[in-house]
Amino acid sequence: MSAVTGQALPAARRRHPAASGGGRLPRALHPVAWWIWACALATAASRTSNPLLLLLIFAVVGVVVTARRTDAPWARGYRFYLGMALAVIAIRILFRVVFESGVSPGDLIVFRLPSIPTPAWYAGVQIGGPVSLQAILSATLDGARLACLLCCVGAANTLANPKRALRVLPGALYELGVAVTVALSVAPQLVESVQRVRRARRLRGAGGRGLRALRAIAIPVLHDSLERSLRLAAGMDSRGYGRTGSATAASRRLTATLMLAGLAGLCIGAYGLLDTTVPRAAGLGGFAAGSALCVAGLALGGRRVSRSRYRPDPWRWPEWAVVGCGLATAVALCLNAGYNPAALNPGLSPLQWPSLPLLPAAAILVAALAALAAPPPPTAIGAGR
Amino acid sequence: MTSWPRQRPAAGWLPRTAALLLAIIACTAGAAAAGTPASAAARPVGDCTTTSGVVVVVDFGHWGGPLLRSCGTTPTTSYALLNQGGWQTAGTEHDGPGFICRIGYAGYHGGTLYPTPAQQSCVLTPPASAYWSFWYASRGQHAWSYSQAGAMSYDPRPGSVELWSFGSTSAGGTAGSAVPAFSPGSVRALNASPASAATTSPASTRAAAAATSPPAANSPSSRTRKPAQAAARATPPRTPAVRDAPPAAAIAQVSHGSPVPALVALLVVLLLAAAGITAAARRPRRER
Repeated sequence: MSAVTGQALPAARRRHPAASGGGRLPRALHPVAWWIWACALATAASRTSNPLLLLLIFAVVGVVVTARRTDAPWARGYRFYLGMALAVIAIRILFRVVFESGVSPGDLIVFRLPSIPTPAWYAGVQIGGPVSLQAILSATLDGARLACLLCCVGAANTLANPKRALRVLPGALYELGVAVTVALSVAPQLVESVQRVRRARRLRGAGGRGLRALRAIAIPVLHDSLERSLRLAAGMDSRGYGRTGSATAASRRLTATLMLAGLAGLCIGAYGLLDTTVPRAAGLGGFAAGSALCVAGLALGGRRVSRSRYRPDPWRWPEWAVVGCGLATAVALCLNAGYNPAALNPGLSPLQWPSLPLLPAAAILVAALAALAAPPPPTAIGAGR
Repeated sequence: MTSWPRQRPAAGWLPRTAALLLAIIACTAGAAAAGTPASAAARPVGDCTTTSGVVVVVDFGHWGGPLLRSCGTTPTTSYALLNQGGWQTAGTEHDGPGFICRIGYAGYHGGTLYPTPAQQSCVLTPPASAYWSFWYASRGQHAWSYSQAGAMSYDPRPGSVELWSFGSTSAGGTAGSAVPAFSPGSVRALNASPASAATTSPASTRAAAAATSPPAANSPSSRTRKPAQAAARATPPRTPAVRDAPPAAAIAQVSHGSPVPALVALLVVLLLAAAGITAAARRPRRER
């Protein structure tokens, strides 16, 4: 799986000497570092509904993505995450407007929708009615927080190479990793295949659109993908994928039992931790037991898989710096110290300008330093594929 | 589209929609006309009788405070009763003002809304372990009913009593720290005719008696975790510290803040955007 995920070609580095800003060699940052950075920012975003802080997080994520994304296929999808984020905000506002949530005496009424009277036994849901500015604003903020989380996950997907991220999977799950890697490479390969066939058709002077052109493109693409998958299967077979190695049937059964029991324990433990009526000790115990069983299963399953690492991803100071930047933001917003905790969630009644708590704002700007700490991305065509 | 000869049935589509819209608008107008008197007037507690007005009781015992008792006229909603005469509520960002997340009274700690922002951010719906639970008892009812309707969709009947109690409840309101440990009879209006001055009402004498009792009697630790029905069967085990809350001026609104932080944040965002655009412009183009 690692053989197909090469690093930047040396030729590419020579081609773009300007891209190595500050004399640093372009290289891809460890994907786990990007994931930790993005998850930390998402944690920070989930702690606040202050529009100014959310706006800052949006801006920081956007700057880091524009500065440090590669040209790989998965790195060009950030605009879709942005679109999804906007859709989330729009849907949230629409629901708040249509399903009336009540108006308090001090609210500014923006407009009135025709309201549909509901019977008394259905009084919980009110459709239509007056729509206040406060309701629209609070729906926007509520949606913006969710949109911020989406953008953080999108940034991680854009910045981190998904195939290299799969290498940190425990050995016992390597079949899963192989399947995900193959699945992930299907769409970019199809796109590339279609582009190649279309270019070939254009060079031959066979233009045109419509059903005929579609057939003329689809058949070669299908042919190409079939051939490619056969080649991939042969290549994987020759490298020993799919062998069970020295594992006996009994040990495989034991691994599966441990994993299933562990996952069930994790589910029960998570429920126990989240439900306040369950004693805390029971939830913690279930969670710990489930984790222990899962780790045992993974360790036992991993013993039968011996893997070698081809060109391992280094973890140097830029990785530490990026992780540190993200964690600093999350810690500052979770600590609730050094600033007024109420400033993280300013109220909307009475309508007032949000305040900008200094420490959280500075901490969010620290997360933007990840753009400087991370090395410039390799910008070759096909880099990281 | 309607000019297509084949889509003859579509010709009847427009008038039907118009009729439906008209019906909806008519319903709205009717509902708006009926919904206008939703805000009732606040009255001195002595004006609530066994047959008129609604007694609203808010239990600040979770914060070591008293049971505050006020009176409002009907018809009204429970929400309107809690937003008049010095009372104020705050909703959550997620659910709007209809979910009562904080309650405050101008005459209690300067109108501080409880729980405070440090205790509950009121962004998402509060958990069932710490929220304002809503109970009511209509005229002649000797047990509290855990309300199945929200504050905005419940219309209390004349002569009834409402209780807002902070704490935890089970899903059906049968167990938890917020289940009232006293019966509705100990807080409802007992006078048959409006008492002009609060000094003659039996309620105020009880309040005076309660004022001498230690405030710790109402602390959450001394609460017995009994279901509502069991609490109602027996006579009240102790006198809750009831204090009358006469109509007061509305809680002073805080200032609207200054737009300077917003402008600073916008400036920073613009700077970041400029940095991002510069980085994107300096990025070598893909060669295709």
